[in-house]
Amino acid sequence: MAIVQCHSNGLPLQIDTQIGLRRKRQMRMALIWGGFLLFAAWCLNGTIVEDTDWSRIGGRNGVFASLGRYLTIDWTLLPELIVPTIETFMMASVGTVLGCFFSLPVAWLGAVNVTPNKTILYPLARFLMVISRSVHEIVWALIFVSAVGLGALPGVLAIAMRSVGFISKITAEAIENIDAKPVEAIRATGGNEFQVMYYGILPQIYPVVLATVIFEWDINIRRSAVMGLVGAGGLGLLFFRQMNSFNYGGVSMVILSILLLIVLGEIISHYLRKAVI
Amino acid sequence: MNGQTTAAIVKQKLTWSRYKFPESLWSFGTILAVLVFLAYSLHFLKIDVLMMLGALGKLGGVVAARFYPPELTYVTDPGYLASILDTLQMSFLGGILGVFLAIPLAWFSAWNVSPHRAIFFPIGRLGVISCRAIHETIWTILFVSVLGFGMLAGVSALTMFCIGFAGKLFSDEIEAVDMGPVEAMRAAGANSFQVFIYAVVPQVRVAFTGIAIYTWDVAFRAATVVGFFGGGGMGWYLKRNVQQLENLRVGAIILSIIAMVLVAEFISGWLRSAVNRAK
Amino acid sequence: MSVLSVRNLRVRYTAKGPEILKGIDFDVEGDDFLAMIGPSGAGKSTLIRCVNRLVEPTGGQITLLGQDVCALNARQLRGLRRNVGMIFQEFNLINRMSVMDNVLSGRLGYTSNIRSLFRHFPKKDISQALDYLDRVGLGDHINKRADELSGGQRQRVGIARALMQQPKLLLLDEPTSALDPKISREVMALILSIAKELGVPTLCNIHDVQLAKEFCNRIIGLQDGHKKFDGATATLRESDLEEIYAMEVL
Repeated sequence: MAIVQCHSNGLPLQIDTQIGLRRKRQMRMALIWGGFLLFAAWCLNGTIVEDTDWSRIGGRNGVFASLGRYLTIDWTLLPELIVPTIETFMMASVGTVLGCFFSLPVAWLGAVNVTPNKTILYPLARFLMVISRSVHEIVWALIFVSAVGLGALPGVLAIAMRSVGFISKITAEAIENIDAKPVEAIRATGGNEFQVMYYGILPQIYPVVLATVIFEWDINIRRSAVMGLVGAGGLGLLFFRQMNSFNYGGVSMVILSILLLIVLGEIISHYLRKAVI
Repeated sequence: MNGQTTAAIVKQKLTWSRYKFPESLWSFGTILAVLVFLAYSLHFLKIDVLMMLGALGKLGGVVAARFYPPELTYVTDPGYLASILDTLQMSFLGGILGVFLAIPLAWFSAWNVSPHRAIFFPIGRLGVISCRAIHETIWTILFVSVLGFGMLAGVSALTMFCIGFAGKLFSDEIEAVDMGPVEAMRAAGANSFQVFIYAVVPQVRVAFTGIAIYTWDVAFRAATVVGFFGGGGMGWYLKRNVQQLENLRVGAIILSIIAMVLVAEFISGWLRSAVNRAK
Repeated sequence: MSVLSVRNLRVRYTAKGPEILKGIDFDVEGDDFLAMIGPSGAGKSTLIRCVNRLVEPTGGQITLLGQDVCALNARQLRGLRRNVGMIFQEFNLINRMSVMDNVLSGRLGYTSNIRSLFRHFPKKDISQALDYLDRVGLGDHINKRADELSGGQRQRVGIARALMQQPKLLLLDEPTSALDPKISREVMALILSIAKELGVPTLCNIHDVQLAKEFCNRIIGLQDGHKKFDGATATLRESDLEEIYAMEVL
């Protein structure tokens, strides 16, 4: 009690102001949460309540029945799976490497401290990074399928384009954060621009770049597994065929092999990352 | 002392070569193996390298020939505008559900505060990993086959996607908390749920809010295509026009998707910085 | 004729910013080991970086090895820079490369792009690098990464790198301020003996007046962009030092 009185000379610790502040804060939180819940309810109403044809799903039993179809795994599909699995893995790898190649110039142009031209090329590179990340891989695949036809090539290109944004963004950030001192030293020895970049900048950024590329490769395996859904080869195509022929056991089998591939990729990338750092 | 060692070395006459017996062989071997693998992949996938490199040069031409000029009036079609709203609602709902389901899973799968390392930890990890491992489009197809066409399937698929996405980030965040308060709560006799609420949540609250907003942003990108596989929203229009070879309309749709994604990214960036300021 | 002559040198980093150097004149002769002392912020580092144009002067004239430094184009400037060895305060090594590669990087001004891409330096350079590494006492550390070495060892790598350029002038930018006193003395003695041996004139920024008096034959005192003292070490009196460091007492 004595302590409270000590502080009661109009200081913020006064009980009334404290309660007032608390109430104000609670009101604000309540408003935020209330608005949030109302918005969620509106979304729920718009998407699920009005849009769903519950009778067609067929109640709980219907759902369980359709789920049950997936539980019988069709092992006879195994021999057909091997080639698409390898293809998926290869598409992800080639796509990542290709994406890396495209990323280098974009990162160079998009790093503010080394870009040759700040008024045109820098914004252009930043724009490319944003476009690459904001277009979904399926959309990229659609564009490339229409440009170069069916097969693995559009898949590789789509993966590469989708990877450029992330890799070049991180690389550009790494270039912007380098230590300028070795660069100065190489410049002082009379090195030209290429040598400054190769000896002064590259050794500083390559661990970050490699770790990013490995991370992206890991994600690209997932992406590469769905490229086939729009006609770009790999496991996705097999998945699509099994789904279309209502062979649900086969679908489960394809999903199993996707999981296996991704676990494999995760293990490899874990060890690669350890080797790099 | 220093002079002596220098003299001793001079007698041996220094030599140096970039090639060092086992190490250089290993690194050359690795590089060679990767190159061979890539070359073989190109062969196996029947990819023409020149065509691959040329495709990007051609891309501009193909886009110009097929998708230009985009039929921008199509975007103002009321059905399509409604589908943009649907996409927004789906991503929001999927994001909320995913984030709320991800929180307990992340708690289970964070090694330092997991309620039971032998039971709940593997459940949490497995849940998050399997949601992450399967691509959102595959989730969509699976849910469509069980629940039928429509936004229910789309929302469910996005939920799974968000569990995987947010769950990983959440559990990383939980594993990085300061263990001091956790120990204090444990010492006070709190059970693991109480520890989570009193020692972990206050530390990660702000980071979680940021991650949740980011999750919505990523979910929105995914939501633009779930419709392509029957999940409702903008993707359905994309699919219809792709199948009808209405390329100019496809161009307009892709442009509008990019625009929407940029808007979403801008909003999420603004919200996240607002949250960081308000903490 | 002097190796380096600087006339009325003026520098400001931004058009409206403060002037860092306000009209400096001095010469470096063929056998000089010249120390530049002064409080921090006096413009020592800026001055030394103007000599090989790592910093662009805004006014004045620099004549180095008979060439007007400020008038050179990029290619000519690179040609000039490779004749000027530079040793830095923070060593400025490439941390992820080996000691050998760091030393060889001193030859970049003489090496083609293709050779630098594969780090394939001529045999002559490699044997030269081995000699210098031996000379600075790093014979045992050739294959270590630069960031595995101690401060004194790193500075020795920096010295070997500068020597690889076959410099006609050495620039030392606070070569010892990141080192402890004992190592500082060793490093300075090493640089001095090598400079005498190769007959290279040296221009050295140094914070530590004691070291400057001990190793250098001439001293220039800078304060706030002005030259306050220029003369043989023996003629430097306490009163001169007090004038040079007058601002730092505050």
